[in-house]
Amino acid sequence: MTGVGMHTPRRSAVREWLAAVGTILVKELRSRMRGRRAFAVLTVYLAILALIAYGVYAVVAPGARQAAGFGGVGFGPFGPMVTNPSATIGQWIFTLLSIFQLILVMFIAPAFTAGQISLEREKQTLDLLISTPLRPGAIVVGKLLAALAYVFLLIVAAIPITAIVLMYGGASWEDIVRQQIVLFAAAIGFGAVGLFFSALFKRTQAATVLTYCTVLAFTLGTVLIFIFWSVMAARGEDGGFRRARRAPEQVMWVNPMVAMLDVIAPLDPTGFGVTSVLGQINGERFDDQGVICRGDVCFGNDGQPAPALDQSFFDGHWWPRFTATFGVLALLLTLASMRLVVPAGMRFAFRRRRRAPPAEPRQVLVAGDGTPTIEELAEPPR
Amino acid sequence: MSESFPGAMAVVETRGLVKRYDGQLAVAGIDLVVGPGEIYGLVGPNGAGKTTTMRILATLLAPTAGEALVCGIPVTADPIEVRRRIGFMPDFYGVYDDLRVWEYLDFFARCYGVAAARRRSMIGDLLEIVGLADKRGEYVEALSRGMRQRLCLAHTLVHDPALLILDEPASGLDPRARVEMREILRELRAMGKTILVSSHILPELGEMCTSVGIVDRGRLLRSGPIDEIERSLRATAVLQIDVLGDDEAVAAADAALRADERVGDVLRIDGAPPGATRLELPFDGDPEQQAELLRRLVEAGHRLTGFRQATSDLEEIFMKVTGQADPAEAAA
Repeated sequence: MTGVGMHTPRRSAVREWLAAVGTILVKELRSRMRGRRAFAVLTVYLAILALIAYGVYAVVAPGARQAAGFGGVGFGPFGPMVTNPSATIGQWIFTLLSIFQLILVMFIAPAFTAGQISLEREKQTLDLLISTPLRPGAIVVGKLLAALAYVFLLIVAAIPITAIVLMYGGASWEDIVRQQIVLFAAAIGFGAVGLFFSALFKRTQAATVLTYCTVLAFTLGTVLIFIFWSVMAARGEDGGFRRARRAPEQVMWVNPMVAMLDVIAPLDPTGFGVTSVLGQINGERFDDQGVICRGDVCFGNDGQPAPALDQSFFDGHWWPRFTATFGVLALLLTLASMRLVVPAGMRFAFRRRRRAPPAEPRQVLVAGDGTPTIEELAEPPR
Repeated sequence: MSESFPGAMAVVETRGLVKRYDGQLAVAGIDLVVGPGEIYGLVGPNGAGKTTTMRILATLLAPTAGEALVCGIPVTADPIEVRRRIGFMPDFYGVYDDLRVWEYLDFFARCYGVAAARRRSMIGDLLEIVGLADKRGEYVEALSRGMRQRLCLAHTLVHDPALLILDEPASGLDPRARVEMREILRELRAMGKTILVSSHILPELGEMCTSVGIVDRGRLLRSGPIDEIERSLRATAVLQIDVLGDDEAVAAADAALRADERVGDVLRIDGAPPGATRLELPFDGDPEQQAELLRRLVEAGHRLTGFRQATSDLEEIFMKVTGQADPAEAAA
């Protein structure tokens, strides 16, 4: 290593940290994106979504045309359809693509992150990584981003398929933006859950199982808890039911499914009454005539798109609550993972130093006869 | 900061280092001083506390008590600064086998913040040193165990550290790979690195170390320049004597041996040629006195077919050193 003197210039803490995250990212992507696997998965993912889009079209189109033939009133697979037939097709495609994509993301994101740290432990590479000056925070964040980068690629790559609905009408670019935000939030949140369990457990298997248990708990568990809680809360002292009481809506803040329902609610081509499902959760009241009211605006429960819902990007929507909750959750879990990666007993030691760094022990390699010698190893006494 | 090295600071210094796992003492008060440019060998059986000591110095473990300093920096107070100064090779480790050899080194060079411009040439130099220059573009997966070991050694050098901590760098290697590893360490020594290396095979360390510390049950029993230790150990040799004849003849020889005040406990062990019995005994004397013992035995009419000093591998040195038990005495 002749002539390789070592004196790395000190950079600012933030730049150093970003460089460290970049280091992990580059390494992870080098091994992850190499070979055919990454591209095969992407192809399969897009093929599934394209098939869904085509399948929805094939099922819905005849009904929509029929509706057009009967002067705008026809029967879809699940009920009467009272809209522009082309828009109906677009809404159906958007609805099903959104839900399927969410399910895929819920399963793919943890699969990528649940091994990120435990696999390093299993392959005994973690010690080598930890004994570098990379800060534990940079390691954890780099690992999370590296795993999620591929999931983000999947989500973004599917935008063109989703954008088909713009051609049919019935859904706007704003709907697509909302859908993307929910998908990204779900990926980051569940990714962080996977990473946390990966840092917590020695075995990847345990981390994976617990991560998927968490996914189930957030999606199905919260629904069960909500229903049970609501039933218990609504039961009156005389044994009768009073509609006014229900479980706190916060229970459902971690449920990505509800957030996605909110995204598709303004379209609601299904006739299931997605808006009324949401109403059950967030406490929109039903007045005596069975009319849903949100704020000051009331509208009939006849399957019509709710006029109040489209007025704002954020207000009166459910998805910002989910996104914010998952953002906080991801942050907390990442911080926790950070602590878990730090060697036990060293925890106190990772604050940024305040005092000036001690003089670098400098190795001056004497080039004359090619024999390197240490000229100075000691730092000046403080 | 260090009294023992006025002027030049010790690269490694531990004071009363203690590590306790679940109530078990892994390291029970080790005071270690390694000066600049030394190749210090830590010898001891498995579980002696070598790995724990090294992991504490590599900032992967916090000591229960005591202090460990690398280049004068306490490892618990400023692990990041310590890490910039050390290259650590654990006893068991994996490699990222889906990376190419150069990518592997590039990754660690980035971890240490080596500038991009310097990385390329440095990786070439490092691969040259460890003899993997022709494997630059291969996947790590395709390397043999010995090559991986050398690659791991190369990774400890990417930031040109002052101190290398190598935990059993030759374990699991075939004889040829061991020799290669030794050659590399010798080269690094010539480059002026301070190296802390552990092994359970003393001769291996003897050939390259300047100093040796013998560790057992968490204590540093002996520490010092290698020839000094060898000299002190030579004073108490283990002799193997093959006595020809029946039990009576052997008992007579046994009694004669026990009569000598320099002889310790005499044991009968296996491995004697047919018709003979092999006795093994610790003997507190230099080669002169060994020759004297042999002469007296032969003159007394005992029929010997063998008289040799047992090859001092680590285990026997351990028996000797740990037999003295008291580390305070051993240290003095």
